[in-house]
This record gives sequence, structure tokens and C-alpha cells, in this order.
Amino acid sequence: MLFTSLDFFVFLPLVLAAFVFTPGAQRWAVLLLASYVFYGFAQPFNLAYLGAVTLVIFACGWGLERTKQRALRVGVFVVGLVAVLGSLTAFKFYDFFAGEVTRGNLLGGIKLPRLGVTAPAGYSFYAFSAASYLIDIYVGRLSGRQSLGKVALFTAYFPKIFAGPIERATNFLPQLLSGLRADPVRFALGLQLIGWGLFKKVVIADNLAPVVDHSFKIVAFAPPLELLIGAYFFAFQIYCDFSGYTDIALGISSLFGLNLMENFRRPYLSRNTAEFWAERWHISLGRWFRDYLYIPLGGSRAGGLRRAINVMLVFLVSGLWHAGLGYGVGWTFLVWGALNGAYQWAGLATRGLWRRVGEALPRVAASAWLRVLRIVVTFHLILLSWVFFRAGSMHDALLALQKIGTRITDLPHLLTIYPFSAEQLTGFGLIAFLLIFEIVDERRPVFQRLAEAPVALRWGAYYLGIFALLLLGRWQAKEFIYMQF
Amino acid sequence: MKQFGKSALLFVAIGLLLYTGLFVATERLLLRNGHSNPFFKIATAEANDYDWVILGASHAMPFDFGDFNALMQRETGLRILNLAAQGTGPLYNRFVFEYFLRAHRTRNLLYVVDSFAFTSRTWNEDRFADAKLIRGTPFAPAIAWRLGRYVRRDGVDPRALLDYLSGFSKINNRDRFRRDAWEGEAQFNRVYRSSVTAVAQRIVYLYPDAGAPELCARYLKQFADVIGTAREHGIRVIAVKLPVPALFRERLPNEAAFDDAVRRVLTDQAVPLRDFSAALDNPNFYFDTDHLNRAGVTEAFQRLLKPLLMTPGGS
Repeated sequence: MLFTSLDFFVFLPLVLAAFVFTPGAQRWAVLLLASYVFYGFAQPFNLAYLGAVTLVIFACGWGLERTKQRALRVGVFVVGLVAVLGSLTAFKFYDFFAGEVTRGNLLGGIKLPRLGVTAPAGYSFYAFSAASYLIDIYVGRLSGRQSLGKVALFTAYFPKIFAGPIERATNFLPQLLSGLRADPVRFALGLQLIGWGLFKKVVIADNLAPVVDHSFKIVAFAPPLELLIGAYFFAFQIYCDFSGYTDIALGISSLFGLNLMENFRRPYLSRNTAEFWAERWHISLGRWFRDYLYIPLGGSRAGGLRRAINVMLVFLVSGLWHAGLGYGVGWTFLVWGALNGAYQWAGLATRGLWRRVGEALPRVAASAWLRVLRIVVTFHLILLSWVFFRAGSMHDALLALQKIGTRITDLPHLLTIYPFSAEQLTGFGLIAFLLIFEIVDERRPVFQRLAEAPVALRWGAYYLGIFALLLLGRWQAKEFIYMQF
Repeated sequence: MKQFGKSALLFVAIGLLLYTGLFVATERLLLRNGHSNPFFKIATAEANDYDWVILGASHAMPFDFGDFNALMQRETGLRILNLAAQGTGPLYNRFVFEYFLRAHRTRNLLYVVDSFAFTSRTWNEDRFADAKLIRGTPFAPAIAWRLGRYVRRDGVDPRALLDYLSGFSKINNRDRFRRDAWEGEAQFNRVYRSSVTAVAQRIVYLYPDAGAPELCARYLKQFADVIGTAREHGIRVIAVKLPVPALFRERLPNEAAFDDAVRRVLTDQAVPLRDFSAALDNPNFYFDTDHLNRAGVTEAFQRLLKPLLMTPGGS
């Protein structure tokens, strides 16, 4: 069941009604039942994976809580972690690895059998949440004495199960203990978030998608300008798709009185790639890698080379994590991760230099134009990496960049003669709207401005948003494409 | 809380008013840009009385491309209304026909039989939920009521009714300013170059449930119901199979068995079947794997259909 489907628009009010009419202490059970219905709706068998992960972390969590012997604790911890993360790795990469081994004859002619299975929907997200639960218990941040039902809800909670945020039990479970209660203010905020998330997803992302798909379908035949437009559109498509979904997740949670962690914060307004990854893009994943991989490896306390290795390792693993989430499984994700890791290296290496320059030229350092320049440069560094993320193969990614690069000086002229399609012009308009919205939001949240605005203006904005969704949104309507050959 | 509730109600009420305005505006736009949808043709029909109504799937549609229907009417002196729609089987055609008969009359019904339309839900129950068909269908309470009956009785997805009543597909129509014409009409003058691969892919697409005889029996019953409805209104029925290229015809799965089955139904109803499927094998008469182009419909009309349409009374 998708957030953008009609089934969900029937499902959510029913869950809300059940939630409201259930006593506060039992409301978590309503959410748990709803979560299993939601997750198992299209593929009931996936509930088996979800159930298995839940039982593993619950049992290991209890085991860690009861066990004082260090060796046994380590054993329980490793078993749990390997079960969860190992199965994720197998689902994602085994078939790809088996294919590469066979294709490259890497085992002297031995052919590895294919499993023919892919990771169940959302596994990348809830496996990481589950792993964080175990790790937090192991290091003593969380008690392992949790009720099975609430651990099950933490794992299965439907707003976040398919696309995050990768929630922490230390944030989620205490909210259940204090009882769930919706109030009008949070309810209204939740509806706003849902509306904005839907707008980003079905209006912006889904209108950009066909242009991107067309550009990257056969890279060899695509004109350079079309590839460039495709790359720019993809940067906003993936942002709006992903952040739209998590905004909806946060909004739905607000309806139930639950706070999920913020996951995106206007990432394309970052002044450097460190800010992009640490504070603005997929924040929950960034913090997961920081807390459970980077810091245990030594983090910033490690010396120069060790720290650089740690940084690159984190980004390579992040690249691998992103594989299989809808853009295939391939080496391009490793390159994407490595490129972003290299950006961090460059940032770390030049940090001292920029600080000294800033101290020497304080007015320049504080100027708005420098800030704009930094934002534009950062965006384009990230954009370069997105080409590897979106292209179907290394060959396509490099070819796309080569075609764009060799015609870069012709682009101003090409822009004046290119026959832009209605879809492309619509895309540009939507991106411009998004950027204006986010620039305004950066100074002071738009929803806060709306809350203080006159009712007529506030409601006018809401109606505009709703009717934009109706008129421009690409929903799940069935359309028969009566093929012709 | 009370104040919040009042505000919410007022917000919803104003929103519904705005939505109604949008609904009305999209209906007016539909009436301006409508073209190939059968319900649109019924709503905008120039007359109430017709000599011939044509029902069927897309093979019948080229006879209404461009000005061809007007040409046929001129040459025969008959009033002809073509209500064929792409990918529609007997269940959807029954729906169209019943609505037509609500306020119109015809002396004859020409039903274009295609075996694929009798083999799958895809071309029957599922067609009702097709956003493209819904958004080309003008709003009428009678259509909504009938659609409700099909939901209750014939296994049509209730979401089709919800979509139709709410006008969502019309409001959400990305092509709202374009003429509602099937893409095939733009290729009416094209001459197709045969391709075995294309035909094979086309067959796979048209026959997704090729091995399910119980489906065929279900839709043959629907077809019999169409004939029965026509009979009740004193309408003569003739069934035809229109020409398709040999390359396509030879690859149709279980066509002989289907022909036997449909003949049995037609014989029971004393309805003649004219099988013209092998009448025009020259690929120059087609604009794709199986649809007649302008030259093809001209040839088919002059040689095959015109004598049929102009024959009074019996076969």
C-alpha cells in the first residue's frame, strides 16, 4: 500500500477513527495492527520477514539485558546483528555478486547459484532501525526490557517502514510509554506536512520522473542538453520523492501524537558537502552511520589517515546501502559513495585554509554572494554524484558526463534554440517554486508564517496546494496504454 | 476543540464548493475536447434515431476516423453511429449499448467480434476503471446509476464508480486541453511495415489470459446478453469479423475454437456472422499490426460493409 494510493486514503481515516476511540494506553496496539495490515497488504508473505526481524531483536535484546557475562553478551549481540544485517546484505547483493562471479569467471568456472529473491519492501530501512535497537541495548543506551508488542510496533510502524526515517528506539519507545494523544495543533501540523509531502511526491517528483527516464533511457542517443536537464531534474526528483515520503510519515505520526525524527532539511541550500550529509540530507541515515559506524571506528578522534579511511568507508557502505532501492544494484553506487567520500576528504583537507581565509577577509566570508556561490558549487558537486546514482551502468554514467562535458561551452547557445517540451517547462516551473519555497522556509518556516497569517491567506494557500495536487499530481490512476507496434 | 471543529467544517465546505466549480469546469472542457469516447458520442449525437450502431473494440474504430463515418453515411444514405472503443469487450459494450438505448433508437446493430475481447478481465471488468475512458465520459446520473449496477452485479471495481462520481480522472487529466482521440487516429494514413516480433508482442498483450476457457464462456454470455437486449428492442443484429493481416491472423491463439463457440452463440440467437478476417491480406491496408488504415477501411467499406449495411431486412 502506497501513501499515494486510494487504498491508503481509506485506510488512514479508519486507523485514525480506531485510534481516537481506543483508550490511550491501548492505542499503540491499534497502530501495531494497522502497521501489519499496511505492510502485508500487497505481499502478505513479507510479514514473515518483518516478524522474524522483530523476534530476533526482541529475543537478543532480552538476552543482552539478562546476560552479564561479557563473552555471552558479545555472542548474543553478534548473532542478532549478523542475522539482521547479514540477511539484508544477502538479499541485496548475493544475486548481484553471484552474477559478477559467473560473468567474470572469478572462481575458476564455478557458478554460484542465484537465490532469485530481492529484499522485501522497506527491509533496508527497518533492518537498520532494528540494528540500532540492538546496538543501543548493547552499549547501555536503552533497556532490553521492552514489551514484545512495542518492539514490534517500533519495527513495523507503518508511516516509516517503507522509506524511513530510520527511527531510534531511544526516541520512539518512550513516546509509547507516556501514552499516545493527538491534539488539534499537532493534528493541523500533521495535515500540513502530509499535504506538503504529497505535493513534493506526486506533483514535483512524479512530474519530473518521465523527463528523467526519457533522458537516461538510452544515454548513447540522448542529446547533451537533454542529459543535462535529466540530471538536474533527477536531483530534484530524488529529493522530492524521498523527502516527500518522509514528510508524509512525519505528518501521519503527528496525527497520532508521535514525533519522528526530521529527515531532510532543505539539503540543496547546503554551503558544503559536510553540511549536506551531516545536517540536511537523509539525516536519520547520516546519524545512523555516524553513531554506529563512524564513531565506533574512531570517528574524528582518529588521526589524519585513519579518519580519512573511516570517512571513505562510511560513504562506501552508504553507497552499498542505497543499492536496490529502486535504481538497481551496481558498481555505480560504490562510485557514488566514493565520490561523496572524496568530497569529504577535500573538505577536511581545506577546512583550515578556508578558516584562515575567512579570518583574513571577514566581510567577504559573511557576504551573501559568497554564500550563494557556496550553495551553487555544493549543489553541483552533489549533482555530479547523482549522475552515477541514476545512470543504469558505469558506462552510461561516464558517457553522460562526457557528452555534457564536451558540449558545455555550447550550452548557452543550445538553450536558446532547444525545443523545450511542455513537460520540461512544467518541470522547470516546479523546481523554481520549490527553491523559492525552501529559501523562504530557510529564513523562517513557511508553516509558521502561515499560522500567523490572516485566515483568508492561510486557507487560500491550503486550497492552492490541494487543488495543485488534484490538477497536477500524478496519482496511481490505472491507465491502459493501448499499445501500438 | 469546538472552534477547531467549526473551522474544519467550514474549510471542508468551502473546499467542496471549489471542488464542485472545478468539476463543472472540467465537464465543460470535456464537452469541448471530447471525441472518441462512446458516451461522449451518445451525449452529443445529432439524432435520436439511427439506422446502424457499431459496437466493438479498436478494430471497428477506424471506420469513424477523420471524416470516414460521414462518408459512409453519405454513400449509404444511412445514419450510422460508431460506439466502438479501444480494448473493450462484450461487458463494456453492453454497458454502452444499454445507455444508448435509454434515449436513442437504432434499427440495426453491427457487432465487431474480436476473440481477444472475450478472453480476459483486462478487456471487460477492468476497462471500467480505465482513467482514460472515465475522463472522456460526460457526467450523467444515469451512467452513474448503471455503473453502480455493474459494480454490484458484474464484478466491476467499485473504484471505477468512485472515480466517475468524483470526476477525479477528469480533474487530474494531464491531457485536459487536448482532443480526446485515440493515438491510432493520428496514424490513419500510415502504411505499416510487417514485423513478426511486433505481432508476437501484440498477441501477448492482447491475450494475457489465453489459457482460461471459463473467461471466454463468461464473456460469450455477456455477448449473448447484448444480442438479447437488441432483440427486446426489435433491433436486427449482424456480427462481423473485420479484416486483419495474415501474419496477425495466423498467430491468434485458439481462434478456431473461439469461432466455433461464437458461432454456437450466434446460431442460438439466429444472428448471422460475416467473417471478413481473411478478406484483406495486403499489409498496405494497415497502419499497424492489426488496424485498417484509410485505404483499408475504404476497401473494406466498399467491398464488404456497404453491401451489408444497405441490405434491408435479412442477411
